[in-house]
Amino acid sequence: MPSSERLSGFQLARLILIQEIRGLLAAPALWIMLIIVSLLVGYSFIQAVDLFSQASRTAKSFPELASGMNPMEGIFVPTFGAYYLTETLLLPFVAIRIIGLDKQSGALKLLLQLPLPPLSLCGIKLAAMGLVWLLSLLPALLVLVFWHHLGGHVYPPEIAVLFAGHGLYSLTVVAIAMFAATISDSLPTAAMLCLAVTLGSWLLDFAAGGRSGMLEILGSLSLTGMLRQFEHGLLSTAHIAAFLGLSLLFFLLTATWLHPGRRPASKLRNSLTALLVLGGLAAGAVLAPRYMDLTENRKHSFNPADARALRQLDKTLTITIHLDRQDSRFQDLEHDLLAKLKRCVPKLKLRYAATGSTGLYSAAKIDNYGLIEYEYNGRRDQSYSNSQEEILPIIYHLAGVRATPEPAPAYRGYPLVADARGSRWWFYLVLPLFFLGIAIPGCRGKW
Amino acid sequence: MKHLRGGPRKIKYPVRKPSASGLRIERIQKTFGTYRVLDDISFTVVPGEILGLIGPNGAGKSTLLECITGLLPVESGTVGWEDENLSRRQRRQLLWYQPDNILPFAGQRVAATLSFFRRTHGASTTDLEQLINGLDLSPMLNKPLQALSKGYRRRVLLAIALLSRQPLLMLDEPFDGFDLKQSLAVMDLLRQCRAGRTMILSIHQLSEAEKICDRFLLLDQGRMMGIGTLDELSRQAGLSPGASLEEVFLAII
Repeated sequence: MPSSERLSGFQLARLILIQEIRGLLAAPALWIMLIIVSLLVGYSFIQAVDLFSQASRTAKSFPELASGMNPMEGIFVPTFGAYYLTETLLLPFVAIRIIGLDKQSGALKLLLQLPLPPLSLCGIKLAAMGLVWLLSLLPALLVLVFWHHLGGHVYPPEIAVLFAGHGLYSLTVVAIAMFAATISDSLPTAAMLCLAVTLGSWLLDFAAGGRSGMLEILGSLSLTGMLRQFEHGLLSTAHIAAFLGLSLLFFLLTATWLHPGRRPASKLRNSLTALLVLGGLAAGAVLAPRYMDLTENRKHSFNPADARALRQLDKTLTITIHLDRQDSRFQDLEHDLLAKLKRCVPKLKLRYAATGSTGLYSAAKIDNYGLIEYEYNGRRDQSYSNSQEEILPIIYHLAGVRATPEPAPAYRGYPLVADARGSRWWFYLVLPLFFLGIAIPGCRGKW
Repeated sequence: MKHLRGGPRKIKYPVRKPSASGLRIERIQKTFGTYRVLDDISFTVVPGEILGLIGPNGAGKSTLLECITGLLPVESGTVGWEDENLSRRQRRQLLWYQPDNILPFAGQRVAATLSFFRRTHGASTTDLEQLINGLDLSPMLNKPLQALSKGYRRRVLLAIALLSRQPLLMLDEPFDGFDLKQSLAVMDLLRQCRAGRTMILSIHQLSEAEKICDRFLLLDQGRMMGIGTLDELSRQAGLSPGASLEEVFLAII
């Protein structure tokens, strides 16, 4: 059998990667997305700084309020909201193009004949999209520079988690978009399929807000719900595994379904195998999660002494809550205590007692509304408090343990009165013009 | 060889080592839903020859080429090289199929597209320059493919195909969109490039096919109606030697 002269796999992969990047840089969709990102990020940043400054003025007058002035929550999360919008609504259009256009133009038939397996081809396309994502971070980097220049505080671990969350979210969206493009006959159909997932995820998260049961679980496992964990500065192996599992699943599905020469039965068999293997692995990580609190104020963690004491509870701690889930007291309880207890207490059982009501105000008519009951090893206690400082002693008393909190530096907060309007020229003019300057020759096929 | 626009031009094309074995297609069947597109197709291609796939539109020519390349799954049948059946990976090393009506990387400059395929095929810059000259593509190099006329698009696709190094080249309608003079020049170019290379050309223009192909495979509605040289097919059709391909085609199909 004769053989043809061939490049090494790496050389071929490099050539195709350059070609993919060249194709992406020539796509108007990419540059439109980048310009919109720039405008949205700039607007969000200026608004966030304005609101943060207003709150900081009060905090400067009342130092006890300063601890609530956290730049992560006040500046970066709202600013990155612009990225969430872009990644949800615009990124799919760019990602769909890298496969959809090749299918439409017939280039895919040529690429699939090159001595490179479809899996590698998909990997190269994904890598090219990675570069696009890095390019889209330019406005975010500008935000960091401006915030620092204004005298704002930056805590790198929190920012890293935020970037990681958006990176994983984008990776998943891109993988879904690539798969949608692979199985669709046209680009609009692929876009609709992908948006159905991303917008559906947002809708699920929205609908699950303040609900219990299956809807709550589904909401927390939606793409939007998982991203929120990263926005809170909480690194969780469950959410990382879920994001990576979903990305890998859709990536493998894309590689499986990309080649038109494979029999449908073989594609289905491979898809099912990928689903079962990755589903199993992801489920393992989701069911046995590990957490790392990377916030500067350690808001997701108890004092180390408390955490140690709670981990020692070997019996089931049952907490019955007579509060409507939409009640602000319940939400405070959930954020300040229950979420932390879930991560510390080995055997925790939460019971959300039915309030017998259909609404927040009717709930208040019930006699024991607001009551929280605690049971450990046959011993019971109850309280109306939702404060961690009052509840932990109750639990320790029931369990017969003692915990003396270790001294920890108090979070002092970082109030800052600043005016970010000077940056608007960069976000509204300089950066869009910069993108436009690269886009025009690229889109006219000059490269 | 004739230049596509001007007069004769001496061009030295890369000479490839002749292969000692050939392509073997056995009992290929392909259906789309309940419609059988290819029905029990078997044939061999002798190394170094040009086989013409002849048939009316919808006969299954392109489908057959895609099935051979592995771009379409078949219900049954094998593609082999002598005694060895070819996996999809092996086919990527041995076969190159240039589909009809494609516009790869349409927004990109022709020069960049050709350069990409030159590199991926492992061809030399001299090969590319010769093809650019032979196909008279120089004036179009800085234009995007989508801005070219149908004829020039064909030339670019032909250049991409001829840059490939695989020993078996399959071209779908290579003369479509060319006038007679251009078709003759392309034929000349293909003859120059055939050294050591086997070609399957899917052609629906019988006059062009007769001029370039060594043997013909006649397809109609997915069925193989005959295979052989023009004389062999003439005998099969009960026609006297010297009959044209058109006469043979009409007699058999």
